[in-house]
Amino acid sequence: MWFVFRNHTIERFFPKGYAFSGYDDISVIPENAEGYLWFYQIPIKFNQGVIAAEIDDYALKAGYVLSRIGIAKQMVALTMEWLYAVPFADDDHRLKRAIANYNESLFLLAEQYPNLKVIDFNEFTRQYAISDLIDWKYYFISQMGLNPRLTKDFKDWFSRKMDEIALKRKKCLVFDLDNTLWGGVLGEDGIEGIRIGGDYPGNAFSNFQEALLELSKSGVILTICSKNNERDVLEAWEKNPFLILKKEHFAAYRINWADKVTNIKEIAEELNIGLDSMVFIDDQPAEREFVRQMLPMVEVPEFPNQPYELLSFFRSLVEDYFKVYSVTEEDIKKIQQYRANASRAQEQKKYGDFNEFLRSLDIQLTVEWANEFNIPRIAQMTQKVNQFNLTTHRYTDAEVRQFLRNGWKIWCLSVADCFGNNGITGCIIVNGQDIDSLLLSCRILGKEIEFAFVKTVLRIMKGNGMKEITASYIPTAKNVQVAEFYEKCGFSLISENEGIKYYKLSLDASNLDIADYYHITIK
Amino acid sequence: MMEEKILEVLKNTFGLEEIDMTISQQTCEAWDSMGQLNLVVDLEETFDICLEPDEIGQMKNFDDIVRILKTKGLE
Repeated sequence: MWFVFRNHTIERFFPKGYAFSGYDDISVIPENAEGYLWFYQIPIKFNQGVIAAEIDDYALKAGYVLSRIGIAKQMVALTMEWLYAVPFADDDHRLKRAIANYNESLFLLAEQYPNLKVIDFNEFTRQYAISDLIDWKYYFISQMGLNPRLTKDFKDWFSRKMDEIALKRKKCLVFDLDNTLWGGVLGEDGIEGIRIGGDYPGNAFSNFQEALLELSKSGVILTICSKNNERDVLEAWEKNPFLILKKEHFAAYRINWADKVTNIKEIAEELNIGLDSMVFIDDQPAEREFVRQMLPMVEVPEFPNQPYELLSFFRSLVEDYFKVYSVTEEDIKKIQQYRANASRAQEQKKYGDFNEFLRSLDIQLTVEWANEFNIPRIAQMTQKVNQFNLTTHRYTDAEVRQFLRNGWKIWCLSVADCFGNNGITGCIIVNGQDIDSLLLSCRILGKEIEFAFVKTVLRIMKGNGMKEITASYIPTAKNVQVAEFYEKCGFSLISENEGIKYYKLSLDASNLDIADYYHITIK
Repeated sequence: MMEEKILEVLKNTFGLEEIDMTISQQTCEAWDSMGQLNLVVDLEETFDICLEPDEIGQMKNFDDIVRILKTKGLE
């Protein structure tokens, strides 16, 4: 049982297990209480001097109770707020001063008594208009000191504050990179092209990074889980001067193309922390949903749609997961230990129920023959896509049209899932029986769509009577992730020359089965 | 309709397992002065009405509540 000292009716704002003193009555201090709460607010009176004197008296009473309860028991005190008072002159500061003094004496008592914790009641009241804080009808029928309609909000807020006093907080933030810690896509926009620093939206991302850096100094572990080429990110950390958070600020990272659930589990193991102490931040709804489904113990907040919302997002992150009554030396040291211990096993492990996740996404693939409407987009993709691009041939619209006239076969891919439509995000260009280009935007990767797409196209060609197909992989600084792609599709490597790999595949002899959870439309 | 909704509010407010229309301050232990306040807040929220202090003073049993709510145009 917790025992509450109070001067107004506040019973309904507390859960079961709280008992209450008489109004402004400190004559009874029950010894069997687990803890004590001190919750006094301004008395409703009109002579400013009288109110001020009464408030001074409350502070003395708090000190007295504290001296009586013994150091082994916790006492929690709420600060006093200006809920209602009407001074008649602007230069009458007596009440304002009395409130400040009262709160100051609580802070001083907390220095003297380590078992006293002071909660800033203003953090609650400032969310409301002053006229919403007291409902006068309830004040007059029962001396209720706070509007009863705020009961639920108050209970939620108060229980969070009690958790903070119990030092309950999450330990670790897991961040995506592209469009989360910076604007844009590193693999497409390049080290200088990502939005960080400078004008909007770069300034919003750098403010966000600055805020996170400070949060990490309070003992919160920062980690990365991103689908990117690790080398690109390391280079960006080294070369982009606007990035505030760099390699050394992250206790662990997984920058690869494996699914995020596997990566998050590995990070938890590597840091030796529970999954239930992690918070995952990603701008992609599908990634968030995947993690929510597979790892329900990980907290996955929604991510703001606009970069200018990042700072209010930061505040809710802190208040919902990381705020703590006090930050200890140990919290701060812990961060260094985590960084020192971090070893980075880079194996890619597949998650057992990954297929179930894919099924739940209701993925719609549309494979469409090149036409006047999609040719500009196809050409643009050949210019922009770097990572999932097997040959990285860059073409203009005019060239694409010329290929069609020369009898080349060109298809593009549109992808949609239960979270929305990604539009045209892939294409394949076939010259005779050779795959000249194959590329997919990295926005849609991680759902094994690449295999479904290639197999669909191979099936079409097989249906047209083609027996064999050839392909090649041309390495660039950006496309390491697809170096083994054709092997995974069942192609045989015929030769390798200066890093370029040449393949062939017999269409009759190969397995072109596609998982049944992709809904494929051919146009 | 309104009667059932009132019973539902009484049941939730006072945390009762069972309830009937004979409920009153005499028969229900949780319906003390603090219970009365909680009841008023819950009735006001459920029916989107404003109860005046003299009406609150008159509400001592189920029938009182029905009578007062009817004066607010509820059926």
